[in-house]
Amino acid sequence: MTATRTHPPAATAPPLEPPAARPPHRRAGRRVGGVGTFTLFGLPSLVLYGYVVLVPIGISVYHSLTNRNPFRPPTRWVGLDNYQKLLVDPGFWKVLTNTIVITVVVTIAANAIGLAVALLLDRRGWLYNLLRGVFFTPVVLSGVVVSVIWQAVLTDDGLLNSTLRGLGVERPPGWLSDPDLALYTLCWIMTWQMIGFCVVVYLAALQGVPADLYEAAAVDGAGPVEKFRHITWPLLAPALTINTVMLLISTFKVYDHVQVITNGGPGDGTTSTIAFDVIQTGLIGNRVGHASAVAVVMLVFVAVVATIVLRLLQRREVTS
Amino acid sequence: MNHSNHGWLRPLVATFVGASFFLPLYLVLANVFKPGKDIIGSPAALPMPPTLHNIEEVLSRPDHLFWYGLVNSIQVTAISIVVLTALSAMCGYYLARNNGLGARVMLVVMLAGLMIPPAVIIQPITEVLRSAGLMTSVVGLVVVNVGYYLPFGVFVFAGFVKTIPVEIEQAAAIDGAGRLRVFWQIVFPLLRPASASVLIFLGVWIWNDFLNPLIILGPAEGTTVTVGIYRAIGEHQADYGSVFALMFLASLPVLIFYLAFQKHFVKGLTAGASKG
Repeated sequence: MTATRTHPPAATAPPLEPPAARPPHRRAGRRVGGVGTFTLFGLPSLVLYGYVVLVPIGISVYHSLTNRNPFRPPTRWVGLDNYQKLLVDPGFWKVLTNTIVITVVVTIAANAIGLAVALLLDRRGWLYNLLRGVFFTPVVLSGVVVSVIWQAVLTDDGLLNSTLRGLGVERPPGWLSDPDLALYTLCWIMTWQMIGFCVVVYLAALQGVPADLYEAAAVDGAGPVEKFRHITWPLLAPALTINTVMLLISTFKVYDHVQVITNGGPGDGTTSTIAFDVIQTGLIGNRVGHASAVAVVMLVFVAVVATIVLRLLQRREVTS
Repeated sequence: MNHSNHGWLRPLVATFVGASFFLPLYLVLANVFKPGKDIIGSPAALPMPPTLHNIEEVLSRPDHLFWYGLVNSIQVTAISIVVLTALSAMCGYYLARNNGLGARVMLVVMLAGLMIPPAVIIQPITEVLRSAGLMTSVVGLVVVNVGYYLPFGVFVFAGFVKTIPVEIEQAAAIDGAGRLRVFWQIVFPLLRPASASVLIFLGVWIWNDFLNPLIILGPAEGTTVTVGIYRAIGEHQADYGSVFALMFLASLPVLIFYLAFQKHFVKGLTAGASKG
């Protein structure tokens, strides 16, 4: 792992000026390592993480190789049957695509809008402080609350459409009832909730850009676009990474919004995500074998994305 | 900084964008203080005169949905975040200061857990909890919260520990302080920005959690305020007044929490991540 290798001085190298009187045998006691330290510092966390995350993953893998359904015993070993069925199951490809669409759209949209708003609010004064608070508020609200709010606004005879009708639009769009539109409406609601996080992180980065850089660029005759491209944007890179990681973490997990707003519909799974599908088929539909196979595919997918993200983080560490 | 003739443009655009963004929240706030018939009739109007009827109704529900939920939410959130901060600070410190193969593998395995959706593993989690007799209990929910959110704490602390010079600990160790004492008395106070971020983020996330309390607490032992909102929409779909009032009351603690700790919200996170 390159991340740890870039910091050898902190972790392994002896202090630059070792005190002459130090007895050599005390080195081991000072090092953070060894079985004793692990038992004290690492083991409790590893045990709990293993109990809540790793063991359940193992159980999922095991179930995915059976036809388990608690209400239809006996449970038999079916090998890779569940996975083979998934390959030709259009419903599975639908939820997989939906999950990817939501993740990609929300991550890009929240970053882009968040950056635009941050550039707009990058000034001192009470107005900008107040507006920053306004944008951040949805971040601390629960997905359930945000879902109920937007549902009231966007249902067919909700506040938005009654306003549109009042303005003379005869057939306003069915934001949540049109199967072609509902997924993107859902993306917008999640984006709305996450914009504020990006705004705050980008603002922190923007306000950390040294003013003399801009002054020097102005002396050299750089315009606003060149200043953004050559000064602001490169210095925003760490903020972009933080935002992307946080957005990936939260969009992959999205369950609340789907459950409360669309319940997977309209129609057959048009807005269902993998997380939602696993609950529907496994916990509610009792088809544990099938649901576990979907879960395992999702976990592999998560592992691939997590690896890419970790690489990204490390590359940034190396360059900074 | 802005010497152009368009100095008035920025505040104007910013106010307009902010107001449009805030509109959905305004609709809830305004209707919390409005009688039911006005919510349907003129949803966007200001509540004039404001009424506390909706809030009183939620607070005096015969099934005590809000009060039971509040007690559960406070218990679960408080215990979970205290345990999480202590454990993930120690673990993050250990993994950041350790270059061995085992520690490196453990860090990767933990960070991979950052993105696992709880929905995907909740079914086997219920099996594990049931076999330990922890289903439908607050203890069970706390255990799951701690195990599940540890990677986030470790991620933040491990990043932050690397910004602290190791010489400080070495000096303390030379004075003969034990490992635990060095950590709690010398390292942990230096991690304050990271601790603040972890406490605040996890506090908000756990308070707002929906799926885990819904399934682990179940209907028997009562529920949290967040799940309570979901139950309330099922009961009276049309009564926006009391649903909005419940949402308002359930969100009030996190909003106050956020306003009080605003400054620390992102500081620890960005400091740890940008210095690597």
